Amino acid sequence: MATGKFVTDLDKGDVLGPVEYTLSAFVIREYAHIVEMHHECFQGADGLIMPPTLIHLDKLRLYNHACPAGTGPTARIHYEYDAEVFAPARVGDRLSVVGHIRDRYLKKGREYVLLEMELTNADTGQLLIRYRDQVILAYATKSEAAA
Amino acid sequence: MTITLEAGTEFRTRPRAMTRERMRWYVDGQPTIAADDGRVHTQPPTIHDDDDYARSQGLPGIIADGMISTNWIQGLLIDVFGPQFACRSRLQTKYIAPIYENMQVIACARVDTVVVNEAGKLVHTLDVWCEDDSGKKLTVGTAMVEAA
Repeated sequence: MATGKFVTDLDKGDVLGPVEYTLSAFVIREYAHIVEMHHECFQGADGLIMPPTLIHLDKLRLYNHACPAGTGPTARIHYEYDAEVFAPARVGDRLSVVGHIRDRYLKKGREYVLLEMELTNADTGQLLIRYRDQVILAYATKSEAAA
Repeated sequence: MTITLEAGTEFRTRPRAMTRERMRWYVDGQPTIAADDGRVHTQPPTIHDDDDYARSQGLPGIIADGMISTNWIQGLLIDVFGPQFACRSRLQTKYIAPIYENMQVIACARVDTVVVNEAGKLVHTLDVWCEDDSGKKLTVGTAMVEAA
């Protein structure tokens, strides 16, 4: 169990969260703005829905909750994003996100971590998004770092 | 709105330069969204906005967060399919080449299949990718969108 320390310590079997929060219009508009998605459903005055990719910042919510010591000695490199949306999340929804570290493995000298997350409506229990995220824990390979 | 496209239909965004500012927007957006207080927040140096820190991690300089290219693909899909993409869909992307400062990036999608599923809903599957101005693929993946 590596929670409670650095993100780089996370290991297979670790559970992150759950963390609950209420989805705000500010969060949707700000996220859509920084990635230049100027669609009315994300940046309008009302009727906003969550951009599916916002699930990526829920990963950071889980990291902050489970790993209060921070990132660790190396910067992560994002390798894979895979999100399936089953139903939309809307402004004012109370949401719950939980993550499971499914794997940590070495490939070509670099360590990979596979995280699976589920975002649900906290009031109804409905699954909204299932997300698989893979990161490389450091750009430098093990041999380069040791040199 | 239900849209029907033929297999093989391809669409793409205009080229966009992955500028230092676009990379920083995503960096600063993260603590800003986490705080959710209506104000802008910043974070310590990252490989996406600080050359010295990026070099300390073995990189030649800052690189773009992969989520920027994923979002540019998603934006293209919402241009085509509308808000339904945020209601019932799947998007998978892998970052197969780094995107450095000022590289030109074009988000692309090509319809792979169009079927009616067991629930009677129209489903499009697509190949998606980002390429540079020479056609080299930087990000690759697949997408699915199910009509309402």
